[in-house]
Amino acid sequence: MEPVALRAQARDVGLELIDARHLVPEVLHLVRDRHEMPVQVVHVIHPFRELASGGDSVRRSSPGAANVCYPRPVTPSEETIAVGPTRIQVLIGGEGDPLLVLHGAGGNRGWLRWMAKVAERHTIYAPTHPGFGGSDSADWMEGIDDLARFYLWFLDVMKLDRVDLLGHSIGGWTAAEMATMCPRAIDRLILVAPTGLKPERGEILDIFFYPPDELFRHTVLDPASIPERETLFGRPPTPEEAEIALRNRETTARLTWKPYMFNPRLPHFLPRVTAPTLVIWGREDGIVPVECGEQYRRLLPHARLEVLERCGHLPLIERPDEFAALVSGFLERRTA
Amino acid sequence: MKLYYFSEMPHHEYPDAEGDRYPSLRLAFPNTFFSPEIARRNYQRYLDEYEAADQAGFDGLMVNEHHSTPSCVNVSANMTAGILARTTRNAKLLILGNILPIQDNPVQMAEQIAMADLISGGRVLSGFVRGVGVESWWANSNPVHNRERFEECHDLILKCWTTPGPFRWEGRHYHFRHVNPWCLPLQKPHPPIWVPGTASPETAVWAGRMGYTYVPFLVSFEVARELFDFYRQGAAEAGRTVTPDKLGFLICAVTADTRARALEAGRHFVWRMGPTLRGPAEYFAPVGMRSRAASRFALRARGAPLSKMSYEELVDNYYIVADTPDAVAERFARVHRELGIGHLLLEAQESRMDHATTMRSIELMGKSVIPAMAAL
Repeated sequence: MEPVALRAQARDVGLELIDARHLVPEVLHLVRDRHEMPVQVVHVIHPFRELASGGDSVRRSSPGAANVCYPRPVTPSEETIAVGPTRIQVLIGGEGDPLLVLHGAGGNRGWLRWMAKVAERHTIYAPTHPGFGGSDSADWMEGIDDLARFYLWFLDVMKLDRVDLLGHSIGGWTAAEMATMCPRAIDRLILVAPTGLKPERGEILDIFFYPPDELFRHTVLDPASIPERETLFGRPPTPEEAEIALRNRETTARLTWKPYMFNPRLPHFLPRVTAPTLVIWGREDGIVPVECGEQYRRLLPHARLEVLERCGHLPLIERPDEFAALVSGFLERRTA
Repeated sequence: MKLYYFSEMPHHEYPDAEGDRYPSLRLAFPNTFFSPEIARRNYQRYLDEYEAADQAGFDGLMVNEHHSTPSCVNVSANMTAGILARTTRNAKLLILGNILPIQDNPVQMAEQIAMADLISGGRVLSGFVRGVGVESWWANSNPVHNRERFEECHDLILKCWTTPGPFRWEGRHYHFRHVNPWCLPLQKPHPPIWVPGTASPETAVWAGRMGYTYVPFLVSFEVARELFDFYRQGAAEAGRTVTPDKLGFLICAVTADTRARALEAGRHFVWRMGPTLRGPAEYFAPVGMRSRAASRFALRARGAPLSKMSYEELVDNYYIVADTPDAVAERFARVHRELGIGHLLLEAQESRMDHATTMRSIELMGKSVIPAMAAL
């Protein structure tokens, strides 16, 4: 939605629009604190850009407007949410039951094409993990199980009792851990090329051992076929984006170094998961071998595995339309 | 100024073309090219050379440690120090150094260094290093924790040496409930501690604050001066005065009876400036290993990398000194004047430099260079 239109809409419901592009996350947090819950500080961000880039914000104009029901714009909003002392950035957009989306090692890539489609029927919450992007650091974390506990806490903070949960790569591993820790919090579970299990025959590629260009070749099967290639990879990163990419890699190393990308205890807990689960994999995944998809399918009590042919480690952007259809179909079967 | 003899104990007995086929000689070059028969002879030879350096009057013998690389098959600095503790008489044993962040048992490290100090009669200089990334890969130690582990490992070793046991240690990375090492150093309160540097301002500041001897490795005078400034900044913070005895510098050096022979021998050092450092950045500085400050410093300060310099440039810029004894002494004196250091560490054997050349260089250094330096 254009800022002008949003500004008008905001006025209709007693909100005042402020330009928050110059505000650092700390200041936004103060703005939020000053207005107390449930005030939302909303950045309208440019799709596909890092969340730290900022945008226009909405804030409540007077205490008298406390009962305003805030519209969820079609364009996602960005909120800064404090989970304990750790503030993270969260993209929120769409209409319908909540779907929590946990990103992979590459970080939060913004409001992606597949999300726009799924958001027609679901409210997507896409947080940026601590230590990634513009979210606070949490250097005390040691592993993905810590991140899983963090997101269960996040659900409490957001007052989301039960959600659908989708995670990609290390976000998928996080989602699987969450589902073993608190099965009742998860309605339907979607794991996209998750790490977390030790392959029985192959190996998970050591992503820290290769230069970025070589790693990219292992990650994506055919960059030319990616519909969003221009917005995602069409130009060299700015210094700020390069810094964020480095920070993302450091946090990934912090959480996954040893044992590398798996939890030897996870297979023993997966049978606890009650959620119907869809496991999605690219046949040509050069990072996490597709055999891990078979392992997840076997260990999870209610899982189905969908393997996309001619697809690498990023089905979400390599095959966004097919991916969105799979996700929507799986989530909507519940209501059908 | 004191002179130290150092060999990396290379294993360069393989066809170079084979090494060129891999992304790096480190980590990637298969150890099927390692020859136990050659290494058996080499170890004896290298130890003989260290002993000759002791007899020639070198003030110190420096040993180091690397892993998964033909450039250095000294895989345990403490083991070599233990051998030299018994087979040499006078020279200090400069262990530069133990790679602290990759250690899982600092208590054992404290014991081993103490044992070398005892056997040598108190000659150990105990260097602590963070290591290049290759060693983090070798140990599969998370590079994100490198600096934290370096500092905590250091703290625990120092506590082992200075605090009566038994005591308990429960830090972030190291946990020991019953620490009581029955092996303590002869030198009190503990062996002098040395720290090398190439790019990290934090390490220089930290070493200055702690009062440790700080030694930049193979950098330009300009970079060395900048690092010494960081060192002085740390020393000032702690109220310490910096004397030349706290500053060292490492270069490559060989001497011979003629300038032509010395220059021919000096060419062997080029291998360690380029081929042995070739490889992806991820091998040498994996993610999280380097702070932002160190990365910026490295980018700004380096100029042309060593691998891009010709042999002549390396000689002109004092990375390599290769000349007759008199000329070598003059060049060392220049280094002393430029940097105000008290210790000059000589990487004095490399690559395929043969035993006879190495021994003659040691002998000539002993006859005229070491006495000349002692006067500085």
